[in-house]
Amino acid sequence: MSGILTKLKDKLQSYRVPGYRTKFEYKWTMVVDLDRCNGCEACVVACYAENNLPVVGKRDCDISRRFSWIRIERYIEGEYPDVKVKFIPIMCQHCDAAPCELGCPVYATYHNQDGLNVQVYNRCVGTFTCATYCTYDVRRFNWFTYKWDSPLEQQLNPDVTVREMGVMEKCTFCIQRIRVAKDTAKDEGRKVTDGDVQTACMQSCPTDAITFGDLNDPNSKVSKLAKSPRRYRLLEELNTDPSVIYLKRVMDEKKGHGSSHG
Amino acid sequence: MKRRYFLKFIGAGGIGTGLGMLFGQAIKPPGAKLIPYLIPPEDVIPGLANYYASLCTQCPAGCGVLVKIMDGRAKKVEGNPLHPVSGGKLCVRGQAGLQALYNPDRVQGPMRRKGARGSTSFEPISWEEAIGEVTTRLNDLSAKGESDKLYFLTPELGGHLGKLADDFMAGYGSSNTIKYDLFDYRNLRYANRASMGIKAIPHYDIENTKYLLSFGADFASTWLSPVGMSRGYGEMRQGGHTGRGKFVQVEPRLSLTAANADEWVPAKPGTEAVLALAIAKEIVDSGHYKGSDLKTWKKLLSPFGLSYASEVTDVDKKRIRHIAKEFMSTRPSLAVGGEGISGYSNGVSGLVAVNILNHVAGNLGIKGGVQANSNDLFGGNDADTVGAGIQTLINAAKESKVGLLFHYNNNPAFTTPGSAKAADALKNVPFIVSFSSFLDETTALSDIILPSHTSFEDWGDDFTNPAPGFQVATIMQPVVSSVYKTRSLGDIFIGIGKAVGGTAKAKMPNDTFATHLKASWKRLYAKDKGMSASSFTFETFWRETLARGGWWNEKSAKKRKLSVSTRSVARHVSKEPAKFEGESSKYPLYLLPYAQAGHLDGRGANIPWLQELPDPITSVVWDSWVEINPKTAKRLGVKMGDMAEIESPFGKVLSPVYVYEGIRPDTVAIPIGQVHKLYGRYAEKRGANPLEILPSTVDTRTEVYALNSTRVRIAKVSRPGDLVKMDVYTDELGRGIVQTVPTGGQFKKSSHH
Ligand code: SF4
Ligand code: SF4
Ligand code: SF4
Repeated sequence: MSGILTKLKDKLQSYRVPGYRTKFEYKWTMVVDLDRCNGCEACVVACYAENNLPVVGKRDCDISRRFSWIRIERYIEGEYPDVKVKFIPIMCQHCDAAPCELGCPVYATYHNQDGLNVQVYNRCVGTFTCATYCTYDVRRFNWFTYKWDSPLEQQLNPDVTVREMGVMEKCTFCIQRIRVAKDTAKDEGRKVTDGDVQTACMQSCPTDAITFGDLNDPNSKVSKLAKSPRRYRLLEELNTDPSVIYLKRVMDEKKGHGSSHG
Repeated sequence: MKRRYFLKFIGAGGIGTGLGMLFGQAIKPPGAKLIPYLIPPEDVIPGLANYYASLCTQCPAGCGVLVKIMDGRAKKVEGNPLHPVSGGKLCVRGQAGLQALYNPDRVQGPMRRKGARGSTSFEPISWEEAIGEVTTRLNDLSAKGESDKLYFLTPELGGHLGKLADDFMAGYGSSNTIKYDLFDYRNLRYANRASMGIKAIPHYDIENTKYLLSFGADFASTWLSPVGMSRGYGEMRQGGHTGRGKFVQVEPRLSLTAANADEWVPAKPGTEAVLALAIAKEIVDSGHYKGSDLKTWKKLLSPFGLSYASEVTDVDKKRIRHIAKEFMSTRPSLAVGGEGISGYSNGVSGLVAVNILNHVAGNLGIKGGVQANSNDLFGGNDADTVGAGIQTLINAAKESKVGLLFHYNNNPAFTTPGSAKAADALKNVPFIVSFSSFLDETTALSDIILPSHTSFEDWGDDFTNPAPGFQVATIMQPVVSSVYKTRSLGDIFIGIGKAVGGTAKAKMPNDTFATHLKASWKRLYAKDKGMSASSFTFETFWRETLARGGWWNEKSAKKRKLSVSTRSVARHVSKEPAKFEGESSKYPLYLLPYAQAGHLDGRGANIPWLQELPDPITSVVWDSWVEINPKTAKRLGVKMGDMAEIESPFGKVLSPVYVYEGIRPDTVAIPIGQVHKLYGRYAEKRGANPLEILPSTVDTRTEVYALNSTRVRIAKVSRPGDLVKMDVYTDELGRGIVQTVPTGGQFKKSSHH
């Protein structure tokens, strides 16, 4: 008995060693270049379409029940005419040291072998713990079983489950697309190559702000971009070890914009 | 650097011929019927997705798309990676096109009016009855010798559908096709033709420019070709070439696009043209301009001295000089003008001023500047630079000169200024036939509705305008079978034409629009050397073209010299800023109605995804608002979310207040698109429509409404507002969420792609 427990503990702890993911086959990573992103939100609608996100209406939006798995946070700073507006797309950061995973009593949210933070819908009992623990406020709860006004349901993506009341959900890094890429690669007897997986948000982004790929592949675009001197991770000081890397926006904070002499 | 895609096309081969073509391959059509599972078509494997290339029609930009089809249903729209405009990308409206297709509030089949006009009481009829009724009306009119009293009101119809409609109208004997869209770039086309003699809209090469100066062009959300331009923007900032491009935006309100600029110049509304010409004068005076006509330019621009310009525009002299210096010394630079400079009664002049600026700085006809587009392939967009406009129709309707009106898809009862009284004028038309797929404010006024397909159900083509420097033709093919009992607009015209007989019938040589389209392309194939050289037979060419999503040839780009002469523009240059309605003593605030990314001219309001998409600046959902500077708000005693009454000399609207630092204290802004009286469950009765309180002032050269040309006053209303915002903080609270590095440092550029 204790042998199994020790084994389990060791196994769990191996997930907690920083950088453990390099031991696995893939390390899915997203890079978001804030100097490209113009805040257009095409990624947001793309995610709605790909992942069967329900529309909840004005009243439910008001009480924070809007579903968007990816949102564009917008900050307005300064006073007229020296105003600066900044955007940042925020989705699940797929933290390597994920606070949400610690809390779940039924292991509905856990780390899979690719280092993805996944959510098992039919295991979730809706305790809301993960959403409370999440540093980035990306988890969304199904307060109801949402309906689509017919025939809007004909658009629903059969590759993605339609969730029911009582279940927590969030950005999956478009795991269904990763699956397809892995299956195809397996059929062809090779590894997934760079560019095989496009997440829906990345695919739509007109400015090419989002890049997705395998950080274990030194030649992938994300690996190259991750070396940028502009790189940072969101609230990195909290040691959540996110899989999303941001590239800083190039902008003069102090002066500029509306100032009288440019 | 352009991304290259290597996709193998399975050519010809006896794999079967059909209506549509699978992306990248020539196989069978997307289900002409819903899939009968007993005998599945050869390209359909239940559970596996197919991708078909087609065209986005959510705005006039003409992005090529791929539609993911599973089991006969459309599941997702992506950009077509081979397409030169979309390059595999899409905007919010493009993504949401599916919810237009599967919208629960579509008109589901032909209907005849039962109740009073505008009462929305209709009864279903058969297609035969509908065509019969329209034919009778047409025959009655021509029997009276009044064929010319038939009017056709439509947005710009792409490609061969537009030509077919023209043929029908000509065959029947009417020359009254009125093209209208709230945002249809007539001013731009007119200004370009007047100043540079070009008809097709040129390519504004944002990607390769090093200094972009935009006068109110909101290209990140709605202007001209949002996806194409945003792709260019991303590359300009962090693309493969050296040096990060600088971007300066001039406009009274910090729009989504301006939020990305390095500098924001909030010039006084209506003075943008003066600012552009003052910059041009600085450039000419500095000796940068070397043309032999230097003297005449100096003379023409002499009224735009720094002192005058600075006083009028409210922009510091030093700053104007600085912009001029950067604009001429950074090579290449590029100026563009959008609604912010063209939305006045002298809108054309503003856009001419932008062309002058590009000319004197040396940005015309160069990479990273303005490049001419040719449209020899089709000629359609060239021919009709600017025909009669909506005001002509409204006047004709008022004077009872319209005997029969065909109407398609542009909803003037909503998208024209309230004081234009379009709905009242339309009520004066004895019989209105609508081809719209939605029961909007205008369609509700019709006597009979012959609903047409939405784009994913129909055939069509589009000759991209503006093209990216070379000709692009995109094919629209049906990717799903029709959801309701609607028909192809082309088929409706052919049906009516054949029934009416005479010349109209003779002009309809084919039985269906699908065959007509193919036959028309066969003629193009025979005419165009590039096309005929690409494949041995037309059939192969057609299959490949459908599979690819259209026809384009980067090599067909012709370098063409462009220039502006003082002679051609002199009459469009005036020293005076734009005029406004409403005395400043009574109406102290400028009103800026603007197109919002999700809704454009209001057409997106019936799409639930777009209603629930937070506005990128205000984060408001399911509503509209009035943006007020905090200083002004304080003076008026209104706070965030309060209700306010906005009154112009032409009426008043109620709207919740959004207090915004990014707007001039003397200006307020309201997004266009909400408060539909009709248009389905998602669109109706929410928000405020600024169009209701606008004057019907137009730029007389183009009949384009001067949307930005009125002043308003604002009063607090003691009624609780119900603004729903998605943001929690507008301030980062020092958490370093969006981190930045200064411009000009070692971080100018990262390697990418
Ligand atoms: S990766 Fe997929 S699930 Fe995550 S935000 Fe992007 S589109 Fe949505
Ligand atoms: S689509 Fe791209 S540019 Fe637009 S908001 Fe999303 S990340 Fe930014
Ligand atoms: S810009 Fe957007 S709406 Fe316009 S054609 Fe492209 S995807 Fe469609």
